[in-house]
Amino acid sequence: MEKALARSTTGDHAAFGDIVREYQSMVFSMAYYFLHNRSLAEETAQEVFLRLYQNLGRIKSPAHLMLWLRQVTNRRCIDQARRMPPLPPVALDEAPEPATKPGPSDPLLSERLRRLVASLPEDSRMVVVLRYEEELDLAEIAEALEIPINTVKSRLQRALAVLRDKATAALEMSTYERPRE
Amino acid sequence: MKDLENDLRKALERREPPAGFAERVLAQLELAPTPKPGWREALISLVRVPSLRWATAGVVACLLLTLGALHYRRVQLERAAGEAAKAQVMQALRIASKKLNVTWRKVQEADRRPPRT
Repeated sequence: MEKALARSTTGDHAAFGDIVREYQSMVFSMAYYFLHNRSLAEETAQEVFLRLYQNLGRIKSPAHLMLWLRQVTNRRCIDQARRMPPLPPVALDEAPEPATKPGPSDPLLSERLRRLVASLPEDSRMVVVLRYEEELDLAEIAEALEIPINTVKSRLQRALAVLRDKATAALEMSTYERPRE
Repeated sequence: MKDLENDLRKALERREPPAGFAERVLAQLELAPTPKPGWREALISLVRVPSLRWATAGVVACLLLTLGALHYRRVQLERAAGEAAKAQVMQALRIASKKLNVTWRKVQEADRRPPRT
């Protein structure tokens, strides 16, 4: 990746293509789960990579590249979300009820959770995406979002509480218990 | 009881963008302006040009010499100012010492005189 980065800086498009292929799923997934819209996520991811191409000279290492991509994806997603009409609230009658209670990796449950994540406030939505999609720890999320670690902690706790309440209500089951203090 | 965090991990698995994503990005690069090199890359690219290598080295050497000379001059000025301050303090001490001696002599003379009856 270091070689691809160095070659891209000199205008080598093939090398830049390698960088895009390496990080496209990360950038696209972040945008997709934040915006909950496939075409907007693709548009946002394309913008992020074009911006990267314009700023290749500032990237010092592959680790810096990953951090830069996360920071810029976050900012682009927030800009994009502000231009979008708000998502309708997630209601119980929006989708047919499952015949049985959701089991492990239930596609309906997963879709409901994705919609609930997309309905979270912007500031805590990306924290949830980075925590559960990118599997980042709190310090890494703080670095990617350029906020203090305690803010990450409080936003994550708040988001999980909201998700737990909404998911339990939407699925009409007492499925998610609050963690013991 | 279900684990919300595990369900979130399953729901938010990484996804690949639509097929041909990288190719579409590369196609857009043709329309985009060339990347701006950072200052480090710009400096390194200057050194890489053989005809400019010695000129760059000369400019850097001149810059270092000028900075060194300026630093040396500043140190000299600070030292001179320190010496002047030291000389003033010594002069002040000498004057104070003379005055003390005169006062001490007068006190001793006053002690030696017999008391008036």
